[in-house]
Amino acid sequence: MKLGLRGQERLRLVFIYILCAIVLIWALAPIYWVFVSSISTRVELYARPYKIWFPSQPTFESYQTIFTQGAKFRAGGFSPTADLMGAGLRNSIVISVGAAGIVTLLATGAGYAFARMRFLGRNLIFLLIMFMLPLPIWVSLIALFFLMSQLELIDTLLGLILIFVTLLLPLAVWMMTTFVRDIPAEIQDAARVDGANRWRLVYSIILPLARPGMVAVFLVAMLSTWNNFLIPLIFTRTNDSQPLTIVLTLFIGQYEVAWEDMSAAAVVTMLPPFIMALFFQRYLVRGLTMGAVK
Amino acid sequence: MNRRINSDSLYVVIVIAPIVLLIALFIYYPALDTFGQSLTNRNLRIRRPPKVVGAENYLKLVNDEEFWEVTGRSFQIVIMTLPLEMVVAFSIAMLLNQRFPGRGVVRTLAILPWMLPGVVNGFLWGWLLNGEYGALNGLLYQFGLISEYQVWLRAPEHQIFWVTVVQTWTRYAFPTIILLAGLQSIPDDLFDAAKVDGANAISRVRFITFPLLLPSFGIALVVEFIAAFQIFDVVWTLTAGSSAGGSINPFTKTLMLYNYELVFRDLRVGLGAALSYLILLMSLAVGMIFVLRVYNQGVQEA
Repeated sequence: MKLGLRGQERLRLVFIYILCAIVLIWALAPIYWVFVSSISTRVELYARPYKIWFPSQPTFESYQTIFTQGAKFRAGGFSPTADLMGAGLRNSIVISVGAAGIVTLLATGAGYAFARMRFLGRNLIFLLIMFMLPLPIWVSLIALFFLMSQLELIDTLLGLILIFVTLLLPLAVWMMTTFVRDIPAEIQDAARVDGANRWRLVYSIILPLARPGMVAVFLVAMLSTWNNFLIPLIFTRTNDSQPLTIVLTLFIGQYEVAWEDMSAAAVVTMLPPFIMALFFQRYLVRGLTMGAVK
Repeated sequence: MNRRINSDSLYVVIVIAPIVLLIALFIYYPALDTFGQSLTNRNLRIRRPPKVVGAENYLKLVNDEEFWEVTGRSFQIVIMTLPLEMVVAFSIAMLLNQRFPGRGVVRTLAILPWMLPGVVNGFLWGWLLNGEYGALNGLLYQFGLISEYQVWLRAPEHQIFWVTVVQTWTRYAFPTIILLAGLQSIPDDLFDAAKVDGANAISRVRFITFPLLLPSFGIALVVEFIAAFQIFDVVWTLTAGSSAGGSINPFTKTLMLYNYELVFRDLRVGLGAALSYLILLMSLAVGMIFVLRVYNQGVQEA
């Protein structure tokens, strides 16, 4: 049997969509299941051996529980952690928005200087910033812990923000430097002839033109900070500063916390990255691959 | 003219100084300090002023069985993860390189796991694999592939296997993007010419796609080596079983977890500091080998 051109194309598409379905199941099934778990009633969630793949009566009770009463134990009763989720959410937002905002400002100012100005030590400083990239963080982490203790910055939001800003600098500075370098020099020179000083120039010429770069830096910085676990693991103690990634592991650590509540906590923890990945993926991919590839 | 120069230097000082201060204070000074401490016997459990002991910590580690066990395990995870990851990434990249309606949406969804927190990913899979109520058990049972629920994470070698699966799931998107970019830069004429010459699909992939993708594979391998070698978050929630401050599961203890345990559980600061420098050396060495080999191969093939 011979297929016409049309038929061949249709066959090709069917084949491709089958493969796409496999890829999407691989990528999304675990996410789907944790979401279903978080909106299931306990009876249905714990049903075995046959699973119920979508709850007959979806409920948001688990979300309410983790934010108001702390997680409930499987055997009944609640963990004494009522405020962990609320505080964790607040801390995660403050840390990631704060660190991303600061590093974007710093990197934009410095990116312009590295791209367009000559000054003493320019190449050396740039090199020292970039050399951080291949350096495993553990090399600095141990002494940094004692330094932060001396500065009384352990378990503070400020301490976390400062560390994250520093760790994000190489990527942010590199992105902004290349971005400013790609803005045509003529535009800037025209402003210089008009007598604008650097501040006016950066503020009125560079900032508007560099906005896509700044958005990318901000989003990547925010995502990496939100997702980070190791830094808060070492530098936080209480819900004064513990972000959601830590709170989630506290729930998991408490062996008996109900699965539907842990699932709800996991969904809350991954929701912002999930949404960012859906709507700002172009920016994120550019930033995240740039940092790794150089 | 003078005023402009002054305002220029003022600008540089104001934008550069905070950055220099931050990296000096939070990265380079602690890095040197950590090295200094690696030469002492500092141990916070013991109330004595630390003494300089030279290379003793390094020798202690190199002669320690647990160090080699943990190092071997880290390399085992790397060796198991990288091929799996590259196969998954290459297959998905080949698929996404086809033209079809909805490709953008599929691409967006296919690389989602990469953007999620590692601790969440570890939890997701731990819950899927759960022996009592896990979805994998339910699914396999429903299809009649198992007759009884399995505890997937019980045997040590199974734990390692699932760690590599979850690490692959977390990271495959990055090599996919890199390989896809590489694929898209191969000119169509090459394939057309090969087709005219009668080359079939397999030999086209083998003699055109692979050689031209070699640099992309090189980048992906180096980055993914570092990611797998420094694995921490995923293991923490999947198999480490240590959140409540209990001891860390020895069967999936990697170098990073070992380092954490030495410093922040056992409080053996000097020894932990030495370990962090050994890890630095190993990462650099392997990174160099990777880069040189792949680079040389790329040069020869070109």
